[in-house]
Amino acid sequence: MAVDYMSLLKLDERELAQRRAFFEITDEDLARVAKLRDFAARHGDAIVDDLYQLILGHADSRAFFADETMVRRVKSMQKQYFLGLFAGNCDLRYVQDRLRVGASHERIGLEPKWYLGAYGRYLRLLLDRLFTDFPAAEAQAAFRSLSKLVAFDTALAMDTYIAANLDTVARHQAAIRELSTPVIRVYDRVLLLPLVGTVDTHRAQQIMETLLLRTVEDQAKAIIVDIAGVPVVDTKVADHLLKTTAAVRMLGAVTIITGISAQVARTMVQLGVDLSSIETRARLADGIELALAKVGRVIAVKA
Amino acid sequence: MTTQVMAQRELQIRCEDDIVLVRQAVRVMAQQLGFDAFATAAVTTAASELARNVWTHAGGGSALLEEIRLAGRRGVRMHFRDQGPGIADLGRALAGGFSTARSLGLGLSGSKRLVDEFNVESTVGKGTVVVVAKWARFSSTTG
Ligand SMILES: Nc1ncnc2c1ncn2[C@@H]1O[C@H](COP(=O)(O)OP(=O)(O)OP(=O)(O)O)[C@@H](O)[C@H]1O
Ligand SMILES: [Mg+2]
Repeated sequence: MAVDYMSLLKLDERELAQRRAFFEITDEDLARVAKLRDFAARHGDAIVDDLYQLILGHADSRAFFADETMVRRVKSMQKQYFLGLFAGNCDLRYVQDRLRVGASHERIGLEPKWYLGAYGRYLRLLLDRLFTDFPAAEAQAAFRSLSKLVAFDTALAMDTYIAANLDTVARHQAAIRELSTPVIRVYDRVLLLPLVGTVDTHRAQQIMETLLLRTVEDQAKAIIVDIAGVPVVDTKVADHLLKTTAAVRMLGAVTIITGISAQVARTMVQLGVDLSSIETRARLADGIELALAKVGRVIAVKA
Repeated sequence: MTTQVMAQRELQIRCEDDIVLVRQAVRVMAQQLGFDAFATAAVTTAASELARNVWTHAGGGSALLEEIRLAGRRGVRMHFRDQGPGIADLGRALAGGFSTARSLGLGLSGSKRLVDEFNVESTVGKGTVVVVAKWARFSSTTG
């Protein structure tokens, strides 16, 4: 799953500038952290080790890391990430790099709580070492600058989590839509589409396309659309039904709408929707009978 | 006697799926107030039309849903607000069969027939507010 988070999060120059302004990351901050590169190189390994003592010390967070090889790999990634903090630039390339980290955590299913907890320790480890290595005023200034970048990174990671989840939801919705347009061949040249659920713009279009394709494929003469499972039939749904019927007619087939409840009939009349150009029946059974008649068949009682 | 507002709920209309949420909320409200099946279908459909107009013609807005009571009668009142382009020719939009969206153009005029009270205020360039109300057919005496 290669999701392009940069575009998903609309991360362009403008968005970046806005984020930087809100997180108060100034050029001064960047220059200050860049000067700490030696410090970072000196402590990088120890800090990453310490971080992983936390993560591996808890059974639940440990479970995300399959074996030693994986731990070694993520540790080296973490080291790169850590050094990246001191790169001294906060441009789109930096953001792209940060998003990769968030995405890789999301991919292994590491929940935000572990991520945020680990980030807390990151800050504490940095704080301790800064105050050991530098005079207080300098250490404080450095820590302020670093904490801005860390907050900036955290926001990116959280956005990645959310975007990834929304992406999953969207894909599920697409899958459900597909499932919910089952065209059934009831008899030779007779098709049935039971509509269940909401008919939104996207789905209406899909229904139309599916029906037209199947009409041609099956050389169908009668198409029954049962709307008993559609909770609200408003003008939009009616409009879709009328348009679909007109298109189906062009292919030489008739559409029969069934499953119209008493409430829907009354509401349609009050709305002023004219469905007289479509064959309608209250019950699906009546629709099937009518459809069979269209292909020259009857349902007979066995003698 | 003035209409009392017993409860209210505001929903945002930001995407097409929000229309579904609005009408689901309206349906639940109507059923709780003892609307019969016809009245429930009518008020839910009106909500669907008006919420859809907010989304299609104004790009979004909000729906304020209220449970109301007047002299023992209970009803649903809905305020659909948007800051869209407004309706230039209200008379024509309300007459029915007119659409700027190549649709049936029956949403506004049809909703009016589905509810008991209907009011539109629209200013071009400012936005539109549609307020409608529907009463339960048989007034229930107890709260
Ligand atoms: N909230 C709104 N903001 C701006 N214009 C609106 C709004 N509501 C309705 N209109 C205008 O009034 C016209 C009629 O509305 P109506 O709901 O009756 O028809 P429609 O939305 O075009 O089609 P449909 O039958 O699918 O509802 C619309 O085409 C639009 O120009
Ligand atoms: Mg409309």
